Amino acid sequence: MTQSRTVAVTGVGMVTPLGNDAKSTWEAILSGESGVREIAGFDASGFPTRIAAEVKNLRAEETIEDRKLLKYVTPFSLFALAAAEEAVRDAGVRPTKATAERWGLVSGSGMMTMEFDFLQRFQREFAVDGQIDLARLGAEGARFISSPEFARHRAVAGQALLHKRYDIRGYSANLQALGLAMRVVRSGQADFVLAGGYDTMINPIGLAGFCLLGAISTDNDRPSSASRPFDLTRNGFVLGEGAGFMILEDWQRARDRGAKIYAEIAGEGNSLSSYRITDSPPSGDGPIQAIRSALEDAEETIDSIDYLNAHGTSTPMNDLSETNAIKAVFGDRAYDLAVSSTKSQMGHLIAAAGAVEGIICALAIQHSTAPMTANLRTPDAACDLDYVSEGCRPMQVDAALSNSFGFGGSNSCLVFRSPQRAENRGR
Amino acid sequence: MQNKVVITGYGCLTASGADASGTWKAVLAGESGIREAATWDSSGWPWRLAGEIKDYSPRDLVSDRKLLKFITRQDVIGLNAVTQAVAHSGIIEHRDELADPTSFNDRTGVFVGSPATKYRYQHDFLSPLANAGGDSREFGVRAMEEVHPMWLLRTLPNNVLAYVGIQYGFKGANANVTAHGVSGSQAIAEACRYLRDGAIDRAIVVGYDSASELEALPYYASVGLLSSRGLRPFDRSRDGTVLGEGAGALVLETRDAAERRGAKIYGEVLGSSVVAEAEGVLSVREDGDGVSRAIRMALEESGKRPDVIGMISAHANGSKVSDAGEARAFTEIFGASSIPVTGFKWSLAHTIAASGAIESILTLLCLANGRVPGIANLEELSPECSGVSVSASEQKPRSSVGIVVSRGFAGLNSCIVLSSHA
Repeated sequence: MTQSRTVAVTGVGMVTPLGNDAKSTWEAILSGESGVREIAGFDASGFPTRIAAEVKNLRAEETIEDRKLLKYVTPFSLFALAAAEEAVRDAGVRPTKATAERWGLVSGSGMMTMEFDFLQRFQREFAVDGQIDLARLGAEGARFISSPEFARHRAVAGQALLHKRYDIRGYSANLQALGLAMRVVRSGQADFVLAGGYDTMINPIGLAGFCLLGAISTDNDRPSSASRPFDLTRNGFVLGEGAGFMILEDWQRARDRGAKIYAEIAGEGNSLSSYRITDSPPSGDGPIQAIRSALEDAEETIDSIDYLNAHGTSTPMNDLSETNAIKAVFGDRAYDLAVSSTKSQMGHLIAAAGAVEGIICALAIQHSTAPMTANLRTPDAACDLDYVSEGCRPMQVDAALSNSFGFGGSNSCLVFRSPQRAENRGR
Repeated sequence: MQNKVVITGYGCLTASGADASGTWKAVLAGESGIREAATWDSSGWPWRLAGEIKDYSPRDLVSDRKLLKFITRQDVIGLNAVTQAVAHSGIIEHRDELADPTSFNDRTGVFVGSPATKYRYQHDFLSPLANAGGDSREFGVRAMEEVHPMWLLRTLPNNVLAYVGIQYGFKGANANVTAHGVSGSQAIAEACRYLRDGAIDRAIVVGYDSASELEALPYYASVGLLSSRGLRPFDRSRDGTVLGEGAGALVLETRDAAERRGAKIYGEVLGSSVVAEAEGVLSVREDGDGVSRAIRMALEESGKRPDVIGMISAHANGSKVSDAGEARAFTEIFGASSIPVTGFKWSLAHTIAASGAIESILTLLCLANGRVPGIANLEELSPECSGVSVSASEQKPRSSVGIVVSRGFAGLNSCIVLSSHA
C-alpha cells in the first residue's frame, strides 16, 4: 500500500465582511471589530431584519482583468475569484501547461445563484399581475435571457470561471469542500488543489427566506453586538457573505519548492445529524461523530488540541448543541480548550463559512493567537466553556479544530496542525 | 489495502418507467418517455418536448405525507428512488436484527447528486413583486405576508440528503454534489472514495432532477441546446437535447460489509473520475479531450485496459458538438473497435443531475443481462461519429465490465467503471 500523503496549506485568500483579503480580515479579528452594519446593498427597510455583515467596496473591475469574464460574474462568484487569486498569489504557484492536469478544484457554492434584478425583470415581462403568462413565456422566453445571464445563473458558474481563469484541468468538485480536497491530495489524485467556498444570501430573496424562518437576529438597533454566540441573550445568526480559498498541496512537494507552509490539514470528520433540518439535537449527536472521526483521521487525541474554531452561529440551539458535543468528546478536557466563534465578528458566511474559518485556524497557528468570541457578555449556564470572550489570546496553537454545520444536518470537522508538529510526527 | 466497493441495491424512477425494471423494459422495447410537456399548458411553445414523470403523484411516491409540505417535486422524485434502492438492498431488515444499530447508522453515508436551485423556487416571490409595484420597502412587507414561512427550507439544495438521513437514521459521511450533468456520477465517485478509505461501510447514493421545469425549456433553447424535434444521439439529424425528470439510487457497500451480512451483490464499482476542460461555463471542446481524459483516469484507477471493456454508456445527449466529441474520444481510446456503444437519453431525456446515477444502473442491467439496447431512433449514423459501434438494434456486451460517461456544464466530464461480475 502506498503511504498516503501529508497535505500542506501553502496559500490562503479571503474576502469577508471584515476585509477584502486575508491580512485585513485577520487584523480586524485581532482588533475586535464587527463587520455587521445596516444593509447597504439594497433597501431592506421592509424586512424585520435590516442588518447583515456585507463585503465592503470590492469592485469587479479591479478584481478581474479579463473583461470578457466580467459578463459571467455575479456577486458571489466575484468573491470566489478575488479570494482564489489571493490564495494562488500567496502560494507562489499556479497551473502551467505541464501541471494543469495535476491541479484540482474543490469549491463549495451557495444555493442562490439567480439575481434579484433578473427576477424583477421576469416579473415585469411575464407575470405582470403576479401570475405567469404561459403563452408569453413560451413565445418570448428564449429571447428574454442572454447567454451570459443563462451561464452565470448555473450552480457551477463559479467553478467554471475558476477552472478557466487558472486553467485547472484535473479533478473538480462542487460540494462541501476542504475535507474532500484534503483527501484528493492525500490519495495522489491531484498534487495541488484550489479549495474553498463562496456565498452570499444577502439579497432580498435570501433575506426574506431567513426572516420568514425566524432564524436571524432582529437586533437592528445594535448591529455590532447582534451576533453573540454562546451568550444567554443570543437570538439568531447574522447573515454574512464572502469567500475563502486555500491552496492545498503535497507536503513533500511544498517543502521541495521552498513554499511557505501555514499548516497541515490533517484530518476530516463528516457526519449527518439526521434530526431536524435546521438544528442538531441538544445532546450534540451528529457533531460528536464528526469531531471524533476528525481526531481519529488525524491521529490526534483530545489532549493535543489547543484551539477549536466553533460553528457558533449565535442561535439558541446550535450553540447549546455544539457546546454539548464538545463536552461529550473532550470530557473534562473541554474546559481547558480555547473555543471561539469568529461569526461573532463577521456573521455567518453560509457556504463560505467552513473555508474562511479553516483559514482562520491556519492563521491562528501561524500567529500563535486564538481569535475571540466577541459580544459574549451574559454567560449562559448551559454554555460554560472557555470561549475566549476577553479578547484575542496569544497562545501557541499546535493543533486546531474547525467545526462547520449546515442546514440539513451535515456536519464537518477539520483538524489543522502546525508545521512543527507535522514535521515532528513519526520522524 | 483499499476496500472494494460493491453494489447491493438500486432503484430508479424515470420518464420511461416507474422503477428500474420498468425503465429497462422500456429501453429494450425501444420506447421513449419523451412527450410534449404536460405539467403546464405548453401549447404553442416552440420547444415543448420533455421527459416528465408519468402520472406523478407525490402521495404515492413518498409515504410520509407530512414531509410533502417541506419538499418540492424534485425532492419527491429523489426520495422515491432511494426508497426503492434501500428496499432492494435489504439493509434495513439487516439493521433491525442488530442488537445495537448505532455503529451501523454512524457508518452509513449519504451521497447525493443534486440539481441545486430551480427557477420555479422564485415564483413564490412574483406576487409580492407585482403587488409592491417597484417599491422595495413594500416588497419586503409583502414578501413577509405572502410567502410561506418554510419557503427557504423547501428550496434547500440538500433536502434529499437531509431527509434520507432523517428517514433512516443514517449518520455517516455525506456530500451534496451540485455539478450539473456529472452530479449523479460524482455522487457515486465520492461515495466510493469514503468507502475505499474505510470512513464508512455503506452509502446511499442518489442523483435526482426535475430538469424540464417551466423556464428551463426556453432558457436552454436560448443558448442553442434544445431540440424541438427529438433527442437523436449520434444521428446525422441530431440538433439538441431534451430535458427530463428522474432519479437513480444505489446502495454501495464495502465488499466486506456486504459479505458479512450475506447480501446479494449485483456488481462492483471499479473506478471513477471527474475532470474539467477549463473552457468556461457552457463551452465544450470539440475534440472530446475531457471525455478521453476522464475515461483514461477511471480505467487507470480500476486497473483495466481498454480492450477488456465490454460496453460504453455514452453521455449521448443529442448535442452536435458533444456527441461528436465523445465519438472521437471513444475511437481514440478504444480504436475503431466493435465495442458496443449506447445511450439512454433518447428514451429518458436528459435528467442532468440524475443522469449519471440512472445510467449507471441501466449499464449494470446491460452487463448482467448480456444485452445492450439499441438507440431506437437512430436512422443514419452521423459521419462525425463514424467508427463508433452504435446501432438502432440490440448488441451484446463483450465482457462484464462497462463504462458510463457523463458530461456537464463547466466543462465537467466523468467516467464510472462498473462490473456486473460479483
